[in-house]
Amino acid sequence: MIETLEKGYENFNISLEEYKSAGVTLRKEKAQKLISQVDLLSKTKKGIEHLFKKSLEIEAAGIFAENAWNDPEKLSPALVKGTLKAGHPSSTYELLSELRMLAYAKKKKGGIHKISPADAEAYLEEVLVHNLEFAFQEFTEETRLAMAPQEIKKVQNLFNLLLAESGLQGIKDKLAEEIRLICEQRPVVTRKVREMIQLVSSKMELDPEKESDKLLLFYVDAINSPTPLSKKFPDPDQYEQAINKLTGKKLEEEVTTLAASMRETGLANPYIALMLRKLAAGKTALIPKALRLNKRGEAEWGKHQPFVLKLIEEIVNIDSFQCIYGLAKVLEKSLLSRNAVKASLNNLRSVNINDHVAERILKCQTKPRVNVTAKQYLIAATIRVLGQPLGVGQGNNSTCQSARGISMWSQHSPAKLVNMIITVAAQDNLILRFENADLESMKLVKGLVDQLDYNLDAVSAVLVPHLDKIYSEMMRRASGRFEDPHKWVNPAMYGHWIQIGFASAYSYLTNSIQDFKGFTRLFYATFNPEYNGGREMVYPNPVGIFVTTNRGAMIGFHAVSLLRIAKDQEGNLRAYFLNPNNEGRQNWGQGIEPAVFGHQEKHGESSLPFYQFAARVYAFHFNSLETKDYVDSVPATEVEKVEKLARESWGKAYTWSELKKIW
Amino acid sequence: MAQCFALIGWSLPVIESMQKLDKPFVVVSFSDFEPYAKENNIPFVAYKFDEWSDTSNSIDLAEKLKPYNVDVAVPLYEETVEWAGALNSIYRNDPRVLNRAFLFRNKAMMKRKALVGGLRVGLFEEVHNKEQVRQFMERLNQANLQLENEEDSWVHIKPFAAAGTVGHRLLRSKQDIEDKVEDTDFPCLAESHLSGKEFSCEAFVHKGKIRFLNITEYVKLGYSNFIPEGNYLASKRPLILKKMQQLVDIFGIEYGMIHPEWFLTENDELGFGEVACRIPGGHILELASKAYGFDALAAFVQCHDPSLTDEEVDALFPPKDFKPENHYGNVMIYPHKNVINSLVIPEELNEDPYFLDHTLIPPYAGQKIDSREGFGNHFGTVNFKGPDPDRMTELLLHYENVDFYV
Repeated sequence: MIETLEKGYENFNISLEEYKSAGVTLRKEKAQKLISQVDLLSKTKKGIEHLFKKSLEIEAAGIFAENAWNDPEKLSPALVKGTLKAGHPSSTYELLSELRMLAYAKKKKGGIHKISPADAEAYLEEVLVHNLEFAFQEFTEETRLAMAPQEIKKVQNLFNLLLAESGLQGIKDKLAEEIRLICEQRPVVTRKVREMIQLVSSKMELDPEKESDKLLLFYVDAINSPTPLSKKFPDPDQYEQAINKLTGKKLEEEVTTLAASMRETGLANPYIALMLRKLAAGKTALIPKALRLNKRGEAEWGKHQPFVLKLIEEIVNIDSFQCIYGLAKVLEKSLLSRNAVKASLNNLRSVNINDHVAERILKCQTKPRVNVTAKQYLIAATIRVLGQPLGVGQGNNSTCQSARGISMWSQHSPAKLVNMIITVAAQDNLILRFENADLESMKLVKGLVDQLDYNLDAVSAVLVPHLDKIYSEMMRRASGRFEDPHKWVNPAMYGHWIQIGFASAYSYLTNSIQDFKGFTRLFYATFNPEYNGGREMVYPNPVGIFVTTNRGAMIGFHAVSLLRIAKDQEGNLRAYFLNPNNEGRQNWGQGIEPAVFGHQEKHGESSLPFYQFAARVYAFHFNSLETKDYVDSVPATEVEKVEKLARESWGKAYTWSELKKIW
Repeated sequence: MAQCFALIGWSLPVIESMQKLDKPFVVVSFSDFEPYAKENNIPFVAYKFDEWSDTSNSIDLAEKLKPYNVDVAVPLYEETVEWAGALNSIYRNDPRVLNRAFLFRNKAMMKRKALVGGLRVGLFEEVHNKEQVRQFMERLNQANLQLENEEDSWVHIKPFAAAGTVGHRLLRSKQDIEDKVEDTDFPCLAESHLSGKEFSCEAFVHKGKIRFLNITEYVKLGYSNFIPEGNYLASKRPLILKKMQQLVDIFGIEYGMIHPEWFLTENDELGFGEVACRIPGGHILELASKAYGFDALAAFVQCHDPSLTDEEVDALFPPKDFKPENHYGNVMIYPHKNVINSLVIPEELNEDPYFLDHTLIPPYAGQKIDSREGFGNHFGTVNFKGPDPDRMTELLLHYENVDFYV
């Protein structure tokens, strides 16, 4: 191996010289050879150190000149993981790019870009935060399956070097921030954030005296040891014995601490499950405290005690505890007082689950336990989705449409949703109607996703394959009409809550952005209470947006739900929306950065100042009978502000036409 | 010194070598390449090589090249050999230069010339249909005194004018004639199977004399080769050089490079396979450049220039007594499966001291692989470098069977 290495340096250096001296015509081939040697060297610790030393020289030679890594300021830390997993040569370019950033951060000489050491360091810190499994060398099963052992070795070497050079201390703040951001959105699926917290807990020295460590400790405790007693008896059996000895004030204290930890983080744990089961077996009066219910929740508990106790008995245990948070939210929303919801939940308890569906449900559990059945998981997930409609996500699937639907039904038609779950769970089939045709998912061939990624809640795992197929079929039937097919698909797919009127800034006929001023005026007249007669939004509106890079360049289309328009604590009008890709924190350029907390967002909502949101919208639904009256009241200055933002970002990708349009 | 070289055919490596040489040149190729040439300031004349008419012929092309003062034409591909030959006939005022070019383009004519000149060739014949192939095999069987139930004699068929292995089929039996031969293969050349170790040579010729001889050891035809040759072939160098000069004399080659394939029997007899006068495939000149430390592409082009002095020619090549330290070899990688998803570089390759680099491209997920015509499109090459030719042979044989695509 030593011999290999020395030859490797020599060959690499020759290859680098050849690459440097190659003319434009042969660069590509020489680059291929050079990058294959970078791949080779990156397999050893010494080799990667050599590459680090040479990284700026390789960059200056032009290795990134014609690919996605060219401009360090355009790199997105969130994309690094995907590229590292993609195998050679992508992973090799990525690795080299990180080494070059490290060289910038360390103020090495020879860089050709103007990126500051602080920016380079901040970038690398973000990369570490997004790649904790690599940084801590605790690979998930998914990664192990996806990556060849050679590739894992290479990535390990890279992160060992990054950590040795920059250390973990610097990323603690970012980690704490990242975990907080995720938790503030109260996702239904908590796997990702739990994995992050678990890694922090097992791999980092946390000092309770230090400010940055305090927040991390808070989350670590929330999943591992929410109370002093659970810290003392981490083993569930021992903890159960310990709480059985508690009485009076002591018991109440334990109950309150458990509840506080769950309600403040959105993360439940096995201990609260044990406590709840104990209380259900005899101390029912303490249950509202264990869930830290508000007044409305308490009233609901009073009214539906027997049913709630039955649910606790059936679905809550140490292997299925996250639903406790969902249950608290269901009670606070008084969902059980809606007869349809209670009846359908009752029906769900007695459904016979189809084998294929059961398989899908078990696939999305991290570790399916023998003593928890697919049905228990499904009911638990249903409670979570009903309690946290804005926490529904699409996972790593391109099914934002389906996720948006589940979230909307959960908010506005929970009984419809539960009935849909029952149908699919029993039949593994679903029928929706589109323009006088019954679309039966089992008979349809293809949806957007071939292979579902099961990093999902069980409700989504059950429904999404069917919703996705039906949605795709609707889109197929509605395409070729010279207008955006969503105009017809959205109302049919989501239901009568969606307005029939549909506005799109993009004109299929002229292949241009047509009458954007008129479009913006209509958007304001529909949603902005200052110009729409002071009306609030009643139902979510499926909105199409342009996603842009942090430089404002067009990336693509995305579906979100606009939920409400309101003023924040500072009196600024904001648009609050659901982004089903669970990536609440993004940077869309031009200072447009959706927030997930701090501006009176409800858990799971993203928000932007109203005009900034308007500058990224390209399609929405509206009431064509009512909006007309208000269109002319929208001031030109406001419209121009939005248009300027649009033209200078995604608008560059289109031609613009001033031709007036009848909306 | 030539005023301007016309490079007939599009080859980026040759263009780059010429740019480094800083000698005047113009590229002649299909108009598809014109925008790229323009963008990169490469002198370029678009021409339709696939058309021969009143408006597309060598005299017309020579006119178009006049503004560049072209006085030497260099063929880069099999299909441009006649065009270059025709131009050089004009430039050298010698009609036989073109006739010589035709020799390279008609394999039957080529064999006949070799036979007449006294080289050892197989039995060969031009055939026009399957029946004639059957008859050819039958006569071969008779000549080989076949007894009942003995296997048929092997017959190769190949198109008259195609590069290397394109369209080449080996027929081991009469059944093969039924199964493997298509009506569209005809007319073509049928020939008996030559036994022996196959290898190729690259002889750089100037004023009718071989000025530099490279021998390329084929480990497996179409997959792998290395330069310089291994110990056994190296021991036969004087014999090979003698036969090569004989070939040059018979064909009357004055300038340029020839790339024949030979078969060396155990009795030290050399059988002539075929010969080309363009840039050989398999990255052979690239390997030769690295092994001998010279620019084989630049030498290839300049050998075509009759005006060079002997000293100038000598300066193109490594010193006469130069002994390369290392052998450079490569193996072309073809996927083994019909559907592939990703590229996997095996650990043992990374750890092998002979491994140099590779140009393998990643597939897209679920990519389907078409069947191979000739040797088809490979997915890149893996390059090796090392002092021991036997180890090199082992490695090349081994990696030919390793599946890099899963």
